Amino acid sequence: MIIDRNNLPEDIRNLPESSFEIVGTEDIRDEAFRTEPVGFFKDAVSRLTKNKLSVISFWIIMLIIASSIIVPNCTGYTYSEQNVAFKNLPPKVPGLEKLGILDGTRVMTNRRKDSLNDPTQFPPGSVIEIVKEYSHSGVEMVDVKVDFYRMVGVPEGRYHWMGTDYLGRDLCTRLFLGARISLIIAFFSVVTNICIGIIYGACSGYYGGRVDMMLTHFAEILDGLPYIVVTILFMLLLGSGMVSIVLALTVTGWIGTSRLVRAQFYRFKGREYVLAARTLGVKDRALIFRHILPNAIGPIITRAMISIPGAIFSESFLAYIGLGIKPPNPSIGILLSDGQKVLLQYPYQTVFPAVLISLLMVSFNLFANGLRDALDPTQRGEV
Amino acid sequence: MDNPTYLLEVKNLCRYFTSGRGKKKLTVKAVDDVSFGVKPAETFGLVGESGCGKTTLGRTVIRLYDPTSGQVIFNGREISGKMTNDLRRYLTENIAMIFQDPIESLNPRMTVEEIIGEGLKVRGVKDKDEIRRRVVEMLEKVGLNEEHATRYPHEFSGGQRQRIGIARALIVQPKMIIADEPVSALDVSIQAQVINLLNDLKSEFGLTILFIAHNLSVVKYFSDRIGVMYYGRLVEVARGDDLYAKPLHPYTRALLSAIPEPNPLVAKAKRRVDYDPERDHDYTHEKPEMVEVEPDHFVYCSPSEFARYREICKRVGKVGA
Repeated sequence: MIIDRNNLPEDIRNLPESSFEIVGTEDIRDEAFRTEPVGFFKDAVSRLTKNKLSVISFWIIMLIIASSIIVPNCTGYTYSEQNVAFKNLPPKVPGLEKLGILDGTRVMTNRRKDSLNDPTQFPPGSVIEIVKEYSHSGVEMVDVKVDFYRMVGVPEGRYHWMGTDYLGRDLCTRLFLGARISLIIAFFSVVTNICIGIIYGACSGYYGGRVDMMLTHFAEILDGLPYIVVTILFMLLLGSGMVSIVLALTVTGWIGTSRLVRAQFYRFKGREYVLAARTLGVKDRALIFRHILPNAIGPIITRAMISIPGAIFSESFLAYIGLGIKPPNPSIGILLSDGQKVLLQYPYQTVFPAVLISLLMVSFNLFANGLRDALDPTQRGEV
Repeated sequence: MDNPTYLLEVKNLCRYFTSGRGKKKLTVKAVDDVSFGVKPAETFGLVGESGCGKTTLGRTVIRLYDPTSGQVIFNGREISGKMTNDLRRYLTENIAMIFQDPIESLNPRMTVEEIIGEGLKVRGVKDKDEIRRRVVEMLEKVGLNEEHATRYPHEFSGGQRQRIGIARALIVQPKMIIADEPVSALDVSIQAQVINLLNDLKSEFGLTILFIAHNLSVVKYFSDRIGVMYYGRLVEVARGDDLYAKPLHPYTRALLSAIPEPNPLVAKAKRRVDYDPERDHDYTHEKPEMVEVEPDHFVYCSPSEFARYREICKRVGKVGA
């Protein structure tokens, strides 16, 4: 080591080398931290629970999932049990009926006044009140509010919480069973989409170059296929049913995920910790799944959550245009499509499924937003 | 520069980056015809301005980049050839790397134990207790303790993270370490701490270090021999004190004149030398090459410059004499 003394001022120029000592050579001893270690997911959960909206939506989702499991088994009806005599019954709920809502009544319009006395049409006790009286071409007409259950002779004590459809099937059973089927379809199509998307996007992003170019072009070509056509082809090939719907939603559904994953891989593969792992001899597969993927997991989870309502909606849409699952199996889309035909006469047949699907989609979206914020690394440590 | 005593020998190494095709093709010569050797248990400092190819050189040696041409020989075995599993194992067992950015170089999703223990896992150590024991041992060597093993990187300060990076590099007991600006992202007091730690570990493990830096004072303190790089080329290689006493290449002089001076009187009087390759060299008639001006002092120069440099060396004489 050379020390250039010529540049130094007079008073320290002639100090012997022994009077200098190197600082910072003492042993370094760091103290243990006093705080608890906070991992990534713990941190994310703590931030997620602070977001009230996503907590509420989480519980709504849980409630819907729980009822779709439980309700169809305890209504006492099956989804395919028909009873044409009891068709299009309005909703009737025990307890609530005393308050005057959902009590199994409905207003029948344009009845001849004299028919009210005909016991074959209006059995005794079925007419509750006359809403309006008027005459039309000299004939006395009434709008009358009737107890519909008594009118068609439903036994006392039999309730349909959401009424029945045009074949007399219990709508409550069908709605929650439909929700179950829709959720299962959404879950499976999202899971397959995410899995394929991750693997495809990881290959294309990690290896880059020519591999990336070919994979991306292939995805683009596939993305050009209209998925309705694909669905129809699957229906022809496999018959209508859950499998063909899941497949139809998968054929092009994974492309978005793979693009996202690819972008994430491009972002992370050049990071120094990935290079460091490479200098240690870590294999490609471990680099992809242990070093890069966990860092990209936030956007992927968010994407999965956001695509669940999308999948539910796509399934309903397919069912609505008649490409749904096989009757008599219900799904939200089929109920909506059936209900829409009698929307003006029996609006409850559309309202209940519509409310449920809206609730599901809004909750999933809000929950996904909360999740996105919670998993966002830039907000780490913030409240 | 053939010398069997070198542990790491780099011969005419080139690494070019290209972009575009056909007419738009652009070639950047990040490392261009670089040759040097590092002796066992020696610290070889590599300095140069930002973007001169120091990092690329380090990464090419450890095969994060594939060399465009040239050879790298480590301990008698060529490591610049086709990548095979065997070669990868040889490389990872012998050379480790310390990175510049202490925040970027640790995976935020892994605990310190996973980060440091990864090298062992790759080498097939399956026993969790064994990994744990060696990780803790290593942590204590770098001044951290057992409790830190379960922590995530974001809980540590820059200096602590850099020490974790050092522990990760050393746990596999490599013969050589490539330290890519290990202290330039740290503040000055922590720089001294990390450098001293590296110094201690160097003698404890008998490490050979290729030390890449742009801070000349750090390199001067830490390195036995120093190589100066300019625009992808190595322009001067010499022992540390030789280089500081008689810088021959004009770029080296320019670099040395840029070291800040603590004494304001001296600083005011100091003249800043600048370097302009167009002005300082005349290579129209003579081709420059790497030549040994005096023992262990190589300069990239043309024959006429060589004669002039010899003169300077004679005039300054032997350092320390």
